[in-house]
Amino acid sequence: MGFLVTTLIFLVVGIIASLCTRICCNRGPSANLLHLTLIITATVCCWMMWAIVYLSQMKPLIVPILNESE
Amino acid sequence: MTAARCWPSMDMLRSEPMQLVQLIIPIESAHRAISYLGDLGLFQFKDLNAEKSPFQRTYATQIKRCGEMARKLRFLRDQMKRTGFLSSSWSPMGTNVNLDELEVKLGEYEAELLEMNTNTEKLQRSYNELLEYKLVLEKASQVFYSAEHNAIAQHREVEQALGEGSIDSPLLLEQEMSSEPSKQVKLGFVSGLVAREKSMTFERILFRSTRGNVYHRQVVVEEPVTDPVSGDKVEKNVFVVFYSGERAKNKILKICDAFGANRYPFPDDIGKQYQMITEVSGKLSELKTTIDIGQLHRATLLQSIGYEFEQWNLLVKKEKSIYHTLNMLSLDVTKKCLVGEGWCPTFATNQIQNVLNRATVDSNSQVGAIFQVLHTKDSPPTYFRTNKFTSAFQEIVDAYGVAKYQEANPGVYTIVTFPFLFAVMFGDWGHGICLFLATLYFILREKKLSNQKLGDIMEMAFGGRYVIMMMALFSIYTGLIYNEFFSVPFELFGRSAYDCRDSTCREASTLGLIKVRHTYPFGVDPKWHGTRSELPFLNSLKMKMSILLGVVQMNLGIILSYYNAKFFRNDLNVWYQFVPQMIFLNSLFGYLSLLIIVKWCTGSQADLYHVMIYMFLSPTDDLGENQLFMGQKFLQIALLLAALVAVPWMLFPKPFLLKKQHEERHRGQAYALLDSTEDDSFELEEHKGSRGHEEFEFSEVFVHQVIHTIEFVLGAVSNTASYLRLWALSLAHSELSSVFYEKVLLLAWGFNNIFILIIGIVVFICATVGVLLLMETLSAFLHALRLHWVEFQSKFYEGDGYKFSPFSFVSIGDDEE
Repeated sequence: MGFLVTTLIFLVVGIIASLCTRICCNRGPSANLLHLTLIITATVCCWMMWAIVYLSQMKPLIVPILNESE
Repeated sequence: MTAARCWPSMDMLRSEPMQLVQLIIPIESAHRAISYLGDLGLFQFKDLNAEKSPFQRTYATQIKRCGEMARKLRFLRDQMKRTGFLSSSWSPMGTNVNLDELEVKLGEYEAELLEMNTNTEKLQRSYNELLEYKLVLEKASQVFYSAEHNAIAQHREVEQALGEGSIDSPLLLEQEMSSEPSKQVKLGFVSGLVAREKSMTFERILFRSTRGNVYHRQVVVEEPVTDPVSGDKVEKNVFVVFYSGERAKNKILKICDAFGANRYPFPDDIGKQYQMITEVSGKLSELKTTIDIGQLHRATLLQSIGYEFEQWNLLVKKEKSIYHTLNMLSLDVTKKCLVGEGWCPTFATNQIQNVLNRATVDSNSQVGAIFQVLHTKDSPPTYFRTNKFTSAFQEIVDAYGVAKYQEANPGVYTIVTFPFLFAVMFGDWGHGICLFLATLYFILREKKLSNQKLGDIMEMAFGGRYVIMMMALFSIYTGLIYNEFFSVPFELFGRSAYDCRDSTCREASTLGLIKVRHTYPFGVDPKWHGTRSELPFLNSLKMKMSILLGVVQMNLGIILSYYNAKFFRNDLNVWYQFVPQMIFLNSLFGYLSLLIIVKWCTGSQADLYHVMIYMFLSPTDDLGENQLFMGQKFLQIALLLAALVAVPWMLFPKPFLLKKQHEERHRGQAYALLDSTEDDSFELEEHKGSRGHEEFEFSEVFVHQVIHTIEFVLGAVSNTASYLRLWALSLAHSELSSVFYEKVLLLAWGFNNIFILIIGIVVFICATVGVLLLMETLSAFLHALRLHWVEFQSKFYEGDGYKFSPFSFVSIGDDEE
């Protein structure tokens, strides 16, 4: 799957997670905003890490060189 | 200070709005009001009597009373501990005991227990003395008989030698014995008990001091005897000393006293001896019963105390804290009411007013309490409403410094970024699962464990259980990305992208594999593990990842400083701090991040070290093969100029503008003083120093700005490099993990022996738990903490506030005085 598709998947998961928290623990607008911020931060962090690892492997400059024994 | 907000407020981002409140409470309802406020726990009292010594305060006698009662309670607890009773855990329901009644009760109990203790001591002493007397009676008789026997035997020998052997002689034996004392020289004797270790010295000194004119016999007592004076079990001997003359007697008595030898009278007559022994035995059994009854009585008394002890303890502590708080209020001139000042959150206004009304009603007071908000320039305490989940993260932030009133709280982002950065350094989903299971145990048994007293380390681990849970969850995620399960990769998300160049795979160990399929969709390709080029690839990846994550977090920090500036309506900070800081950081390190991403996307072979260094050294040179995109040279020159401009932009304008602002304010203030007389007449003059405008020292402000600028500029480089610890720790973790796996587990497996395998598994588990799960967790925790405290928070956090510590009874039960 390509880069964009997986990015969209992350986005969708983030939206679903925020909707779930809104439904499960709806405790007033300020608390909701806090939960939303946390979910967005977590989604962005996770996406960044995945994206970095994915991008670095798209056009590799080094390839795996196996050990002699294998 | 309020600011017009065009977005809704967020929990925990800024401190709750606090207000300074003045309470005027009539004396009769004061005690009750404070007690209810303590239950509510949302009011922090200011000490209005700070200049007074503890003895000058209004309620000093009450506090002394409470102190006395606390002492009595400690005494009772001590007694209970000595008899081995443990006070039962406090049950909240119980008869409401009045403080005065309690004082009387405690006094009674204490007197009773003290009396019982002294009586028991006395009885025990007499008991021991009687025991010793009994021993003397039993053992000394032996001495007498053997001595008399010897004397009589000698006497008869002398008589027989004289030749008079009469048939009647045996019959006369008794008569002889009974008449012996009158024929002999009158000998006095002293009998008693002496400690065995001192007996030789005792004998020697007796001998020396009486010049050998005493006859001394000792009989060993087999079992150790309880000494009446000291109460310990000592090995003793029964001694009998025969002497003649008054002076010898005095000497012997003095020596006995010096050696602590107890003396007991010994009757000569056999009949009397038997009589004494029976008498003493009778007395002994009587005493024993008395002592036993006494102990029983004491035990029942202590048990009845034990049921209510915790409740009394809590009551006394509560009262003491109430009186301490009452001492902080000042007595009004009319002596009819107490005036108190303190901080409370604005949302608690209604609750506090209700509490005060309830206190008025409950104490049947005529006058109600007055609740009045004061206006002040003092800085209020900072209060965040946290729950059991967020409180641990807030404590981590507070450990560095408590947030200034209403500045942005880094705790909000720390909830996610701290476990995330930990996980970047920990990255192994097997270890993550172990950590998660361990912390799940704590969370599931939360209620039970929170009431117990755990050890210091367990207490910390329990307090941070939600932090560790988040850390574990993120570790599972990053473990899946790094593709490490106890250092073993799995092909979970599709096929690996790499394969042999041709079907023979001849060049796999010289030139390597090639990328034949799409990139591995999630995480690091599993084919990398164990290859020769694994480390160069992973190092390059992790170092670049650290830089990217670091630049993003630092940018977040600077953006938070923008929101702070906007909130406090500080335009200076926006234009002369936020903007140049963003420009400087992003033109250098933001540009580096951009280059990294472009290089990855295009697969170019450009050397980024070279590009960055020569951007500074010779920016006008042609880039040649290091060119990544069109117009790169011009962009680099532009960014370099922007960074160079940003530095004096941060440094110079702000001090001059601050000076201008201060002069304007100062000029305007001279006219403002006339208006301030309309303020409330109730305002006390406690706000020393907050009314007067601050002195403005231009040189100080300028130097401060220089320091700030240098810190930022140098910090930009050093902080970015500091993020490379994410790479370093992650490398260490994966190397350790793979060493334990390959060199322990696989080695043990290779022997094909069940015992070696079991030993290998045990060693592997111990090493994993000890080194990786405990030491590495602590290490990664510490480094993630440092990254937050220094690199992230230095961009926007001031942290010089003080925490809101309300008067509350919740924490009182935990102190052990």
